Amino acid sequence: MVAALKRPGLGRAALGGLLGFGFGYGLVVVLRLISGLPATQTAQTGYPQLIVGMITAAFGFLIGLGAFDYWFRWAAGAPTYPAELEHKAHGAHSWRDYFKFNTDHKVIGIQYICTTFVFFFIGGAMAMIMRTELAQPGTQIVEPGTFNSLFSAHAAIMIFVFVIPVFAGIANYVLPLMIGAPDMAFPRLNALSFWMLPIAGLLFVGSFLAPGGGFDAGWTGYAPLSTGAPLGQSFFNLGVQFAGASSVATALNFLVTIITMRAPGMNFWRLPLLVWANLSTSLLVVAATPFIAGVQFMVLFDRLLHTNFFQELNGGDVLSYQHIFWFYSHPAVYIMMLPGFGIVSEVISTHARKPIFGYRLMALALIGIIVLSYTVWAHHMFVSGMFAWLRIPMMITTLLIAVPTGIKIFSWLATLFGSKLHLRSTAMLFALGFIVTFTIGGISGVMLGMVPIDIHVSDTYFIVAHIHFVLFGGSVFTIFAGIYHWFPKMTGRMYDERLGRVHFWLTLVGMLGTFVPMHWIGMEGMPRRVADYSAQFGDWNLLISCFSFLLGAAQLIFLYNMIVSWKWGPLAGDNPWRARTIEWLVSSPPPIFNFDQIPRVVGGPYEYGVPGARHAILGPAEAEVGAAEPAVAGSAGTGPT
Amino acid sequence: MEAHAATVEHAHGPPEAHQSSRIDRQTLGILLFIVSEVMLFGAFFASYFFLRVVANVGPWPPEGFDLPTAVAGVNTAILISSSFTVHYALVSIQRGNRRGLIAGLGATWLLGFTFLFIQFNEYVHIGFSARNGAFGTIFYGLTGLHGAHVTVGLILLAMANIRAWRGHFTSEPKKHLGVEVPGIYWHFVDVMWIIVFTTVYIL
Repeated sequence: MVAALKRPGLGRAALGGLLGFGFGYGLVVVLRLISGLPATQTAQTGYPQLIVGMITAAFGFLIGLGAFDYWFRWAAGAPTYPAELEHKAHGAHSWRDYFKFNTDHKVIGIQYICTTFVFFFIGGAMAMIMRTELAQPGTQIVEPGTFNSLFSAHAAIMIFVFVIPVFAGIANYVLPLMIGAPDMAFPRLNALSFWMLPIAGLLFVGSFLAPGGGFDAGWTGYAPLSTGAPLGQSFFNLGVQFAGASSVATALNFLVTIITMRAPGMNFWRLPLLVWANLSTSLLVVAATPFIAGVQFMVLFDRLLHTNFFQELNGGDVLSYQHIFWFYSHPAVYIMMLPGFGIVSEVISTHARKPIFGYRLMALALIGIIVLSYTVWAHHMFVSGMFAWLRIPMMITTLLIAVPTGIKIFSWLATLFGSKLHLRSTAMLFALGFIVTFTIGGISGVMLGMVPIDIHVSDTYFIVAHIHFVLFGGSVFTIFAGIYHWFPKMTGRMYDERLGRVHFWLTLVGMLGTFVPMHWIGMEGMPRRVADYSAQFGDWNLLISCFSFLLGAAQLIFLYNMIVSWKWGPLAGDNPWRARTIEWLVSSPPPIFNFDQIPRVVGGPYEYGVPGARHAILGPAEAEVGAAEPAVAGSAGTGPT
Repeated sequence: MEAHAATVEHAHGPPEAHQSSRIDRQTLGILLFIVSEVMLFGAFFASYFFLRVVANVGPWPPEGFDLPTAVAGVNTAILISSSFTVHYALVSIQRGNRRGLIAGLGATWLLGFTFLFIQFNEYVHIGFSARNGAFGTIFYGLTGLHGAHVTVGLILLAMANIRAWRGHFTSEPKKHLGVEVPGIYWHFVDVMWIIVFTTVYIL
């Protein structure tokens, strides 16, 4: 028992969390007593003893987990050893290794994906509760206050601990393989990034236990609603800090990996588009996410220390919250979409067996999107009473983003043009579904970019419809496409395509049935974020709720398919899709250090149907490289097909 | 293929990653981290802009807020001089001068700590708190955020100091990244202070 608590792991982490909480709580109490104040403070925006306790508990948890063991040794000048040789902390030999601080990018990728899907189902369950409440006018099962907490937590969970990190998880798994790197640039930082994520998720979910209920100011947490809200709001502020720090550290890691660890011959114009997508996303994360960290700190300071960032009466500026918040959160919608673009490019090119159309323009369009995304934030604020002169410039830049996005959509269509499409592959179905639903969401986005339409439909269900068409029809569809595409690589086993197709069609129908009518009731003026509504919208809402239950149930098929196939699915082989990128040239799942020898890249990644074209050569056994050298077991026969 | 995976697993350590850029990972990593730090400061500077230009017209700082600009100016000089000492430490180890390394790092740490101490003293005697109007809030917001960064820099430099004493760095390339990387961060902290000082105390 004592030995178990000394070893790095979840046991020591739990102990560390408890000690950390005790330390933070005690520190505040002692400091307050020294200053002659009452030991604890329980005003609704206060509870400093709990807030500080939660921060120190999180660090205690991470220390207990072993996240800092190496760094502590390094800082003290004690002998250290590379993480790769630290057998216990690298690679998974049993399922238990997935619950440890692990530095293998493949293990971390799986940890990310599984954790984020847990939060996906929690957030989804919240949506189901909300749709039950909204099935009829009047109060059904939850009070309006609880409803406010539900939609806030649903959005916060889906955005901060599902969509953003699940992309990081998928990229964590495949990106180092794709560029021919043995691991990420900073494996320990990578593991630390992952373990901050459950902390953020637990804070969001745990806020429901706080006195006064969960945070209820929406995921946007506008001041002054948030600065005066009960304790749960502080949980949101802290959770965003941990999720934000996690994604900044991951993005930094991706950038360094992509820039410094590409295989010989892998120049920027040979990078697979998934790598390009993560390169541009990471640039956005590194340069935008600190803004939300900053603004949530300000809210926390206003709540805890009674500063005046957003206190209008004391000279603060309420509207500055929205400016600073959206300066992050508009780029954030591309953080949630660009990795999906990358996944879809991989899936479409591979399953259509065609070179991607306009490869360079596809890459440059990503750069165009990230540059433009910094110039559009105030289109969320057309009705906020901000500077009137800012409206038209923001409208124009917003509409301009449709150009690079359109380039991508048309390039995918041109890639599909003339290919032999067959609708049997689930990954391809989700990619095709994505093109349809994301285009609809993109078009309603262009509508919303126009100032007059935006003013008309602000805070109505039209917004809800738009956001779900781009985030569910966009991001989540690409996530499913990616999961189905790389499932054989990650697990070595094949999923059930029939169940996959059922999952796709039910998801598509459920999604359209749920979100298409929201456009109409939104245009008629049904306000969003309310538990009750005018009786005239009752029929539509009942229909929406029915379709949303179908949508929810369809995800259980996915869950079943993934769990059962992971354990009992037929072996997939190394390259079931006959794809060209490097991750398909190694075994499924890949060996612990990815490669015996770093592969050499000799051509573009998507040269399907081009005679004699090759993307990468693995190992020295290939005839054209070094015929004199002896063959290495296993590397023969893994060449591209 | 399963068997293949198993043999490879125990055959050897990881293959050496191909270095595809002239910059090494640690340096690039700290530079990108500094980009994100600049943006964090950007959020607080944005707030400064809104509080000073949009929300409050009239004299700035408002009546009754007096800043000890002279003391802060001396403090600025102290912090800037620490940039030179950390550079001296790096140049020393590049030439194999261990004594210069230890002296440079030690001096940097002491100068940084002195800066932080004077800053703390200023807070104690300044006569207003973060609760006093928009000016108090953004004054403590910006200088406090910077102070937090000085603290982080001092922690990094403390590691470099300890490792230098224990004889860890040599003059070969990449064998003194533990001095170079905290040094880059420290230069950032200094440059950022010049901007914060100019904005808060002078403009």
